[in-house]
Amino acid sequence: MRRRKTYLKLAALCMAALVAALVPMESLYADELPYETYTYDYWENIVITPAAYVPAGSVTGTDVGAGEFSEPQDFCLDDDGNLYVADTGNNRIVVLDPTYSEVLQVIDSFDMRGTTSTFDAPYGVCVSENGQLYIADSNNRRVVVLELNGDFVKIIDNPQSEILEDGFDFVPLKVTVDYADRVYVIVKNAFEGILVFENTGDFTGYFGTIDVTLTLWEKFWRRLASKQERAKSQLYIPTEFTGIDIDSDGFVYASNIDSEGEQGVRRLNPRGEDVIQKGENGNVGGDIVTGTYGTYSGPSEFTDVVYRGKGMYSALDRKRGRIFTYDKEGNLLYIFGGLGSQEGTFNTPIAIESTDSQILVLDAYYGSILLFDATEYGQLINDAVGLRYDGDETEAIAKWERVLELNENNELANTGIGKAYLTAGDNKTAMKYLKLGMNRKYYSIAWKRYRNEILSNNIGWILTVIIIVIILLIVYFRIIRRHFGKHKGEKKKKQEGLLT
Amino acid sequence: MKKYFSGDKWKYAFYTVSHPMDAYYEIRHRDRGSVPIAIIFVILFSFTFSINRIGASFVVNDTDPSTVNAATELVAVLMLYALFCIGNWSITCLMQGEGRLKDITIAIGYGFIPMIVCINIGTIVSQAVAKDEAAFYYLICGIGIAYGLVMMFMGIMTVHNYTLGKAILTVILTFVAMLIIIFLVLLFIDLINQVFSFFRSIYQELIYRT
Repeated sequence: MRRRKTYLKLAALCMAALVAALVPMESLYADELPYETYTYDYWENIVITPAAYVPAGSVTGTDVGAGEFSEPQDFCLDDDGNLYVADTGNNRIVVLDPTYSEVLQVIDSFDMRGTTSTFDAPYGVCVSENGQLYIADSNNRRVVVLELNGDFVKIIDNPQSEILEDGFDFVPLKVTVDYADRVYVIVKNAFEGILVFENTGDFTGYFGTIDVTLTLWEKFWRRLASKQERAKSQLYIPTEFTGIDIDSDGFVYASNIDSEGEQGVRRLNPRGEDVIQKGENGNVGGDIVTGTYGTYSGPSEFTDVVYRGKGMYSALDRKRGRIFTYDKEGNLLYIFGGLGSQEGTFNTPIAIESTDSQILVLDAYYGSILLFDATEYGQLINDAVGLRYDGDETEAIAKWERVLELNENNELANTGIGKAYLTAGDNKTAMKYLKLGMNRKYYSIAWKRYRNEILSNNIGWILTVIIIVIILLIVYFRIIRRHFGKHKGEKKKKQEGLLT
Repeated sequence: MKKYFSGDKWKYAFYTVSHPMDAYYEIRHRDRGSVPIAIIFVILFSFTFSINRIGASFVVNDTDPSTVNAATELVAVLMLYALFCIGNWSITCLMQGEGRLKDITIAIGYGFIPMIVCINIGTIVSQAVAKDEAAFYYLICGIGIAYGLVMMFMGIMTVHNYTLGKAILTVILTFVAMLIIIFLVLLFIDLINQVFSFFRSIYQELIYRT
């Protein structure tokens, strides 16, 4: 009977293996992708993870019948999922439908109070919450506001203020709009920050200025250098912003190139202060481990950022073609993407957008839009982080547990599960997961509860043992003193005798 | 062997902890100390350090376990110890110090005793503390390290018969001397390398031509 059971088991196993071999698996394996998906752990080591996003094809201008894109610099999604591509080299805006398969509209001119006006190198594009299209018309030195059907609304140009220096050249590159139709414009060579315009088109001021901090060492060398040397050396000016996005609360996400590789993204509150959280590693600057020489050396250079909802944002690194996704606390979720010529890799990644399940990257060199689909792993992380953001930590547990099945080293998942066990009162299991998640704060809480639990459960016999030991010690010392007292006395006498 | 490891010498090492001034004087003038025992304490300290790095509780321990290597740590500690002793010896020779190299090695080596004891106790205590009680752990380790450093300093002061000011000065100069020694050693290694490669190229020439 028993033997038959084992045979049955064996047969079942063989069947399972056969089914597993025959059913095509989702392409989760790194060797099938043109790039690695990875993240950095607590010790800042590179950890390869299952793929979070996989290439899902690309769209070029010829694919949709609009003619080849020429150096497109920016794109933008509206609420209906239509995609607006700033086809910079062809001086037009191409509107694609939500499946990116056909052209809905090509805007290359508009009717401005009776005269027809065209674009000259439209660099940035943005759709506001109120459904208007903002175009940074760079060489015409203006921001054009149109209705989505192409009707003219207004023009923002020629900002007037005493804080702008004489001969200020207003070349708008990237633009975004908040819920109150305030316009945030990144201007070429404006190191003072982002220019902000009221909905009337009046310039209100700079926003989110990046401070320059000199290290002590740099100050020392500048002190030593002569005037000519100082003139020759590089200027210590703040870096420019490269890309911009906004969330529904009016917080501006702006990417910049940080030569230290520490902070490539800023989250600016409506007063222009940076309120980003930098997470466990104190870093939102992309790659932590980089080569020291060669083309792959140096910190990441973020060229665009996209707010993905629920506090998550993704930044696009043009140096190594990687996409970094962080949650609200600045924890690194996953990194994927790469440069190359294979499908799914970039040459000159320039802009990034996202929908619920896809990430879109615009490549300026190939003039194509690359699509990436979330895998189960990526989607689980997105969902779990979203639930955590909403405060539903208990609901996130099922997601985290599945994440751990796919990647048991995921520190966020371990921490999430650990916290759940802690609330459930299973302190010992909580300790195990929190240690794996490298979360000292909550581990300490779990350990304290676990320790007090043990102590209070066993206090009876612990106290008994202590009392018995004390009694034994007292008895032992009494006996020793009685037995060896004489001996000691003799010794003392001997010593005294020696002394006298 | 008896001379170095007698029970009396072992006991005297611990007497030094409780009475550093007197004991260091005796070590200098009545040969109560033992260099091998001092070196054993240095080795024990290195192990203590490694054990603490790998064994202290997760709450207080921020060390990546994969970076802990007791063997390299032992070599590093011994090298630094030797370097400091030789540096101090060469400085004090020039500054009318009375201590011999033997006395310096003992003075520094015995100074590790409180560190060994306290850090090991700290490692054990750390197993029981939570984050808000971690101060106990840091206090225990801190006391051990501070007392050890004070002992070493007193040792140097006593064996050389220095005043406080002069002892501080020599300690600072010792670090300078250590740097000079490192520089000379590197220079020497480089020169030896060049000589070696010279002879090797001669050998290669001979091999290729025959």
